[in-house]
Amino acid sequence: MNTNHTKHARRIGAAFTSMLMVGALAACSTEPALPDEPVDLTVALWSANEAHLALFNEIGAAYVEANPDLVSSITFETIPFDAYTSTLTTRIAAGDPPDLAWMFESSAPEFVDAGALVDLTETLSATEGYDFEDLNPSAMKLWTESDSTYAYPFSTTPQIFMVNNDLFHAAGIPTAREMLEAGDWTWDGIRDSSAAILAATGKPGFPVRLDPAVWQYLALIWEGFGASPWSEDGTECTFDSPEMVEALEFIRDGVYVDAAFPKPGSNFDFFSGGAAMDAGGISQANKLDGSFDWDVLPLPEGPAGQVNIIGQAGIGVLKAGDNHAQAAGFLAYYSNPENAAKLAQFFPAPRLSLTNVDVLGPVNPVLSADQLQEIVVDTVTDAQTFPSHANFAAISNAVQPLFDGIWTADSDIPSIAADVCGVMKPLLER
Amino acid sequence: MIAPSILGAAVFVVYPLVALFWYSVQDWRPLAGGPEFSGLDNYIRLLSDTTLRDSLIASGIFSVGLVALNMSIALVLAVLLNQKLAGTTVFRTIFFSPVVVSLVAWTLVWTFLLQNNGGINALFSLVGLEGPNWLKDTGWAMLSVIVVQVFKGVGLNMILLLAALQDVPEELVEASRIDGASRFRVFRSITMPLISPTLLLVSIVTVIGSLQVFAQIRIMTGGGPSNSTNVLANYLYQVAFEVKEFGYGSTVGVVMFVVVLGLTLVQWLARTKWVHNEN
Amino acid sequence: MKTSRTLTASKKWRGSVIALYSALILLTIPFLFPAWWMVSSSFKPLSQIMEYPPTLLPRDPTLDAYVAVFEQPFLLQYWNSLYIAVLVTLGTLAVSAMAGYAFARIRFPGVNALFLVVLLGLMLPAEVTIIPLFQLFTALDLNNTHWPLIIMPIFGASSVMGTFVMRQFFLGIPQELEDAGSMDGLNRFGIFRRIALPLARPSLAAVAILSFLASWNAFLEPLVFLSSRDKFTLPLALTQYTDSVGLPIWNVQQAAATLTVRPVLLVFVFMQRYFVQGLAQTGVKG
Repeated sequence: MNTNHTKHARRIGAAFTSMLMVGALAACSTEPALPDEPVDLTVALWSANEAHLALFNEIGAAYVEANPDLVSSITFETIPFDAYTSTLTTRIAAGDPPDLAWMFESSAPEFVDAGALVDLTETLSATEGYDFEDLNPSAMKLWTESDSTYAYPFSTTPQIFMVNNDLFHAAGIPTAREMLEAGDWTWDGIRDSSAAILAATGKPGFPVRLDPAVWQYLALIWEGFGASPWSEDGTECTFDSPEMVEALEFIRDGVYVDAAFPKPGSNFDFFSGGAAMDAGGISQANKLDGSFDWDVLPLPEGPAGQVNIIGQAGIGVLKAGDNHAQAAGFLAYYSNPENAAKLAQFFPAPRLSLTNVDVLGPVNPVLSADQLQEIVVDTVTDAQTFPSHANFAAISNAVQPLFDGIWTADSDIPSIAADVCGVMKPLLER
Repeated sequence: MIAPSILGAAVFVVYPLVALFWYSVQDWRPLAGGPEFSGLDNYIRLLSDTTLRDSLIASGIFSVGLVALNMSIALVLAVLLNQKLAGTTVFRTIFFSPVVVSLVAWTLVWTFLLQNNGGINALFSLVGLEGPNWLKDTGWAMLSVIVVQVFKGVGLNMILLLAALQDVPEELVEASRIDGASRFRVFRSITMPLISPTLLLVSIVTVIGSLQVFAQIRIMTGGGPSNSTNVLANYLYQVAFEVKEFGYGSTVGVVMFVVVLGLTLVQWLARTKWVHNEN
Repeated sequence: MKTSRTLTASKKWRGSVIALYSALILLTIPFLFPAWWMVSSSFKPLSQIMEYPPTLLPRDPTLDAYVAVFEQPFLLQYWNSLYIAVLVTLGTLAVSAMAGYAFARIRFPGVNALFLVVLLGLMLPAEVTIIPLFQLFTALDLNNTHWPLIIMPIFGASSVMGTFVMRQFFLGIPQELEDAGSMDGLNRFGIFRRIALPLARPSLAAVAILSFLASWNAFLEPLVFLSSRDKFTLPLALTQYTDSVGLPIWNVQQAAATLTVRPVLLVFVFMQRYFVQGLAQTGVKG
């Protein structure tokens, strides 16, 4: 038994060492050393949308055709959204990594800090016609470390409010647009409208997503209260700040005191008329059809003012992969101005030249020029991103159970917030 | 003839166990680096790990609740089906059917039913009651998970117990009935002892099964709310494959192994007290 | 006098029959209601799926959800689940019948110790050793293939269970039967094949059912080992019907669940006698 074990251990050890060595060798050869054979590239992504995939495959095929000596095929492989990051990192651990991968903003620093991504700066800026300077610095921030660019945030999506005017009318209250014009488009206003709509129609106004698994998306609300879970540099917990406590108490009371927001564990579908309001990325608006009278608005004002938020997704080259140069070359093509313009029909690009109504108009047909100006162009330069951290997976895992405690009727939020900081502190420092 | 089995057990049972102990003393986060020998650090970390404490409690409640509920319902069903009524086969088929149904499908249907605005609460509202928030309320989530799991698996235990009941010699039961013993007395002092070996086997299998519960927890509650259903198996998965800590994950695996070992031992020892006619 | 006593007795009997039937019918609710709810929801349009209070029957039944199911490689995933489960079942039968027989009949030094090792696998939850196994299959470069899902049960947990069941059965076969065989000039393997195995049919059926179901239901292993959609098995596939923020699309999910469950249930209803007898046998013998 013992010899058996050591043999296996040795084999695994050998496999592991060789994995590391391949990584190290590949890391040394980041200069575009041309290979003898064209390679097959794989790109991991979470979209299973057929239209998305058709466009990606079109871009991929064009690149293969133009560079047959570098790349023989490009495969876009969908990893389900549900467990995307953990599946991706499992594949890296399994020594079966894709060459390129999409990443959520929340785990961006995790990949950058762990040194899991290839530095793209040189490839991108050296590519002819790439116009590196056109990349919006505020969009690139999360994906850049000490002047090195590690990923391209292909989707830089302003978060917006979508509203169902019919339900506002049914409740006999001013519509969201009227609220905005009257200066009442605030979180308090949304809570009051929600309560009125629920009372009048039986349908929820704004179903806040209280699922602990996606706690970071509550930033939509707490940013307006001037709160954030940790300090800018990610080293200090600010979850127990009075602002955060106020924001959380606002949500909890909205559920249990004002009967405005549905309890956790309820499900509603805004797009089929199941709720009066929903917040999400601008591309969601394309799902709106004529089945009810709708409108889109910017995020509301909180006690600390109005804060715009963008959701991001990036694509980068994994160091664990074998074909860094070819993968980076493809990424430079995938995100060049022409392709970025094509991708912009699904994903707002991080390029300044593409952030205007003329580009966005045709690809967001449901939105008017005014709406686009209001919710995209005006917001994207000064926007916040959702929380992200170099240790996000561990932090998220540790704080999720505490969120369940927050969403109970008589929760002691200041003390739970202190607990959150208690579990977060060692993880922020690590 | 025995070689494939032995070889298989060596590679897929013994080797992983040995490796588990070796991994459990490593600092190993496959994304960041390692494995690196870290002595007892992981074990020291266990002591202050409140989530581990939560999941030991959750596992305990789950196993006890599941076994108690499963065994009693299975026994009731088996006794009811043993009454030689017409149409027994139909009922038996119905009670047994979840056993052959895909576990994930079964769990998804119940998850859907147990949403705050789902089907179960709709049934409640028909009679003017407001049902609890089954999967989100710490007081109800564990019970919900247990009950769903009981209905999924109770059919198997029912069949096994029914077979045992049918093996109880009828003359024995009738003789004691004539002696004036009540139905309940007969059941307690004649039937129960006779089926106790089966009861033991079934309970062992159920306890072992209860520790493997993973898909149900992951789909229905993800371990929440507030870790109240975060059983060991789910916690291990979280640590190893979500947070990506293979070293500490293995340490949690060792804890799980010790728990299983302990439980088996307890059952082994309790068996002599329990089983009346072990041959 | 005598007649009246039988009359009350039969009245009492009838009363208890009614009570028994009511109890049985009441108990079927948690078994039947979900099945019906699943089918009914799968025909609802998305706008009605979360209606409160929900309707028990779909108002405007639609096949939209079923169409949406096949936007994923559902058939391929179905095939994956099926062929893996069949291979696992066949492999488990072969391995455990042989090992079970050997443990029951062949005496050799250390047999008890070996049997203990096999039993260890019986009580060990899959989660305990999933990290080392993940590393093992990584070293073998078999991640994101179906190999782990096939090999592990055949040589691991499923076979251990099977070996246990088969050993219990073979221990119960009278030795004389086999002695007769050896007098007819059969060797060990011949006895096993010609005499012991045919007798073991009910136990083999039980092992087949249990190992098939274990493979068919496996969730942890596919979750850990598979990452491409077209390699997924059904349990994993069923959880993938989610929208762009990861929330389940309930009606599509219920439709996929319906498609997963129905064929198996059908097979079960027709073969339930064999299922039940086979499984009951193991219980008595075990």
